[in-house]
Amino acid sequence: MNALTASAAIASGRVKLANIRQRSLVEAKVRVLVVALLFMFIGAAALIRIAHLGFFEDAPERRSLADALLPPRGEITDRNGVPLARAFPAYALWYNPKALGEKGSPLVKSPEEVARALLAIFPDADYSDLLKRLKSDKPSYLRRRVMPEEANRIFALGEPALEFPRENQRYYPQGSLGAHVLGYVDSEGHGHVGMEQVLEKQLLDPAQRGRPVALAIDMRAQGALEDELGRGMLETEAKGAAGIVLDVDTGEIVALASLPSFNPNRSDMALNNLVFNKVTNQVYELGSTFKPLSVAAAIDAGVVTDLSVRYPSNRPLAIGGFHIRDSHSFGASLNVPEALIHSSNIVTAQVADKLGGPALKKTMAALGMNERPFVELPARGFPLWPRGTNKNGDWARITTMTVSYGHGIAVTPLHLAAAYAAMVNGGIWRPATLFKRDPSQIPEGRRVYKASTSARMRQLLRMIVVDGTGKTANAQGFRVGGKTGSAEKPGGRGGYNRTSLVATFAAAFPMDKPRYVVIAMLDEPKGTAASSYQRTAAFNAAPIVGRVVPRIGPFLGVVPDDTRDIDISDLSPLVGNGDGE
Amino acid sequence: MIASANRLRSVGWLVLLGLCLALVLVLAFRVNALRSQIHHAEARIVALKQEKMYLETEFETRSNQQQLKAWNDVEFGYAAPSASQYLEGERQLASLSVPAAIDAPAPIRVASVDDSIIASAAFPAMVSPLSGKALSADDGAGEGTASAAAAKPKLQKAVARVDHDEAVETLQDRLGKVVDVRPKGPVRKETASEKEEAKPRKAEKVAKSAAKGTSAKADAGKTKPKVTAVADKSSAKKAKEAAPSRTTKGKEAKAAR
Repeated sequence: MNALTASAAIASGRVKLANIRQRSLVEAKVRVLVVALLFMFIGAAALIRIAHLGFFEDAPERRSLADALLPPRGEITDRNGVPLARAFPAYALWYNPKALGEKGSPLVKSPEEVARALLAIFPDADYSDLLKRLKSDKPSYLRRRVMPEEANRIFALGEPALEFPRENQRYYPQGSLGAHVLGYVDSEGHGHVGMEQVLEKQLLDPAQRGRPVALAIDMRAQGALEDELGRGMLETEAKGAAGIVLDVDTGEIVALASLPSFNPNRSDMALNNLVFNKVTNQVYELGSTFKPLSVAAAIDAGVVTDLSVRYPSNRPLAIGGFHIRDSHSFGASLNVPEALIHSSNIVTAQVADKLGGPALKKTMAALGMNERPFVELPARGFPLWPRGTNKNGDWARITTMTVSYGHGIAVTPLHLAAAYAAMVNGGIWRPATLFKRDPSQIPEGRRVYKASTSARMRQLLRMIVVDGTGKTANAQGFRVGGKTGSAEKPGGRGGYNRTSLVATFAAAFPMDKPRYVVIAMLDEPKGTAASSYQRTAAFNAAPIVGRVVPRIGPFLGVVPDDTRDIDISDLSPLVGNGDGE
Repeated sequence: MIASANRLRSVGWLVLLGLCLALVLVLAFRVNALRSQIHHAEARIVALKQEKMYLETEFETRSNQQQLKAWNDVEFGYAAPSASQYLEGERQLASLSVPAAIDAPAPIRVASVDDSIIASAAFPAMVSPLSGKALSADDGAGEGTASAAAAKPKLQKAVARVDHDEAVETLQDRLGKVVDVRPKGPVRKETASEKEEAKPRKAEKVAKSAAKGTSAKADAGKTKPKVTAVADKSSAKKAKEAAPSRTTKGKEAKAAR
């Protein structure tokens, strides 16, 4: 028993020892494992952290910088990078009646006093409207755009209820300059009228809006054109004016103005008829400015080969009960250069009659006169294209004759500019564009006139300015060539209103190597002292071109030079000056 | 013993663990610090760029075409330049010169350089724009000239008092000289009193200069190549290339003398 118990006790002690050993061994192993796992975990965590830092952390930071500088709406610049439209956090004037707490009057002074003070700061504001807003309990905008100086003056009124939140708005640093080209952005952020509407998607696309869009417009040329057109419009008390400067070789529109204009910075004021673009949307019968186009068609077709051939011009041309008249008699007969210089309807109609309706129609169609003008702007007027008399749409004889001197066909001034560009640039018509064109992307265009015809027309256009109705456009050293046009507006007795005219001058310069077409148009000019009491283009539209060209020429790369000119010596003997006729 | 070694080992592991932890923490802190620095810098860049945009826009607004036109009408009255204000090229410029009338005074001839003026001017090679003192070409310090002079006597001359020959040559190199009218015979340094005397003689020299010019031209072939007229860029370049050889030749000629 004893031995048994002793042996049992020894056995149990051994077992216990073995147990303890095994347990501590396991414990040690577990500890080692835990420590190893901990190390591995820390190592892995460190590695993951490093990898995370290396691969992912930088990217969001960078994006935030780009994001912060990305404008909410892309910038529009002119061809030289001058900003014309940009997103700008401008001040607005917000009326917050709760600014002084719920109880009591929201304003320190009386609403009448505040409204009068605001009227002193914004003379164009509406007093009763301001008063109504200031008296109401509802918060509202008093003005969408406030200049910093104005904000300071409002701040000096000491009214906490007048707040100036900074809001991201569209801003046009040049004010109303080029308003019809740019358009405006409404309070919802949608573009209207001009390139703002055309480029809406691109200007809002996050991938593209970081890069400014360059237009073909040259801001300085635009300024000069608008300035001189505005002056001419005021001087002659005209209803409106339109002008365009077009690069004859590329089709780029360097300046485009329609007056009276609007201020795109005041989008609330833009919703009126001033947004109507007279250059691309309004069609006019542009009158005598069409004569060179018809004569060119006749020369091109070989109908007029000898410019010394004389046409009778002393009595109105009677065609089927309709009489084609001149403004006054130019003598018994005129040749083609003289007809252009004196702007004779009778002779041009005879030339067109000789040329024939189909040929003239083909030329006019090739010049794009039967479709909307080619330009990116959304508002493009459809021309009034004369209807034909038969199935083929052939023009009647009288239609051919009236179209030749710009009546019975109504087109936009842009149509005329593109046609003149084709006539002087060697005969190739190209679509006009408001985007700056890379020299490699200039469209091939289509040939309308032969190069020889174009050269002849340059001589004739120059002669009109040197000897004819365009004398007032003869800017010294710029070799201007062009044609006046004074068309009676439709309406009144006999289909036309004798007293309301559309005076146009279509010109190109320099005539020895044409670079730009300039068109100036006045809508219903009156005879004033400034225009020698005359309404015709020679006295109002031509002087505008004569003043615009010297202002825009030098920075468009045309240097005035008295020693150069196109050679017109072969044509000048054909023109009788003064007593000869 | 074993237990203490074990404990020591585990303590060692723990210390290592703590160290790693600390290092990771330090790394994380540094990365975060740098990131916040970058963030601050970026925020500042954004703020500055926006500020720039505001100012630019304000400038554009205040200087817009209509505003400038209004100012010009009231204040300046500038008009577009006329044809007479443009010159097409040298040919047109030359066409503006008028032939001299019969009893007109003799034209001022600046092309024939008066020696006495150059000699009295004594241009140093280079003048410090700050101090207005002469600089030597190599060290640029006034006290360094003594040692530099020992090594390079030519440079020393340029600093202190330019030799007549050197003056003419330096001027030629700088201006693309037209005609060399250096006096013949041994060259010696002028004293201050002689310099003063040289001035009244100027008039005589101008009168003689034409004759001198021709004789100098006659000499030209013998001593060294000379540039007669520097009209266009290519010949100017040639003149520059010729310049070093000319100076060395000049030195040789001097040595021979």
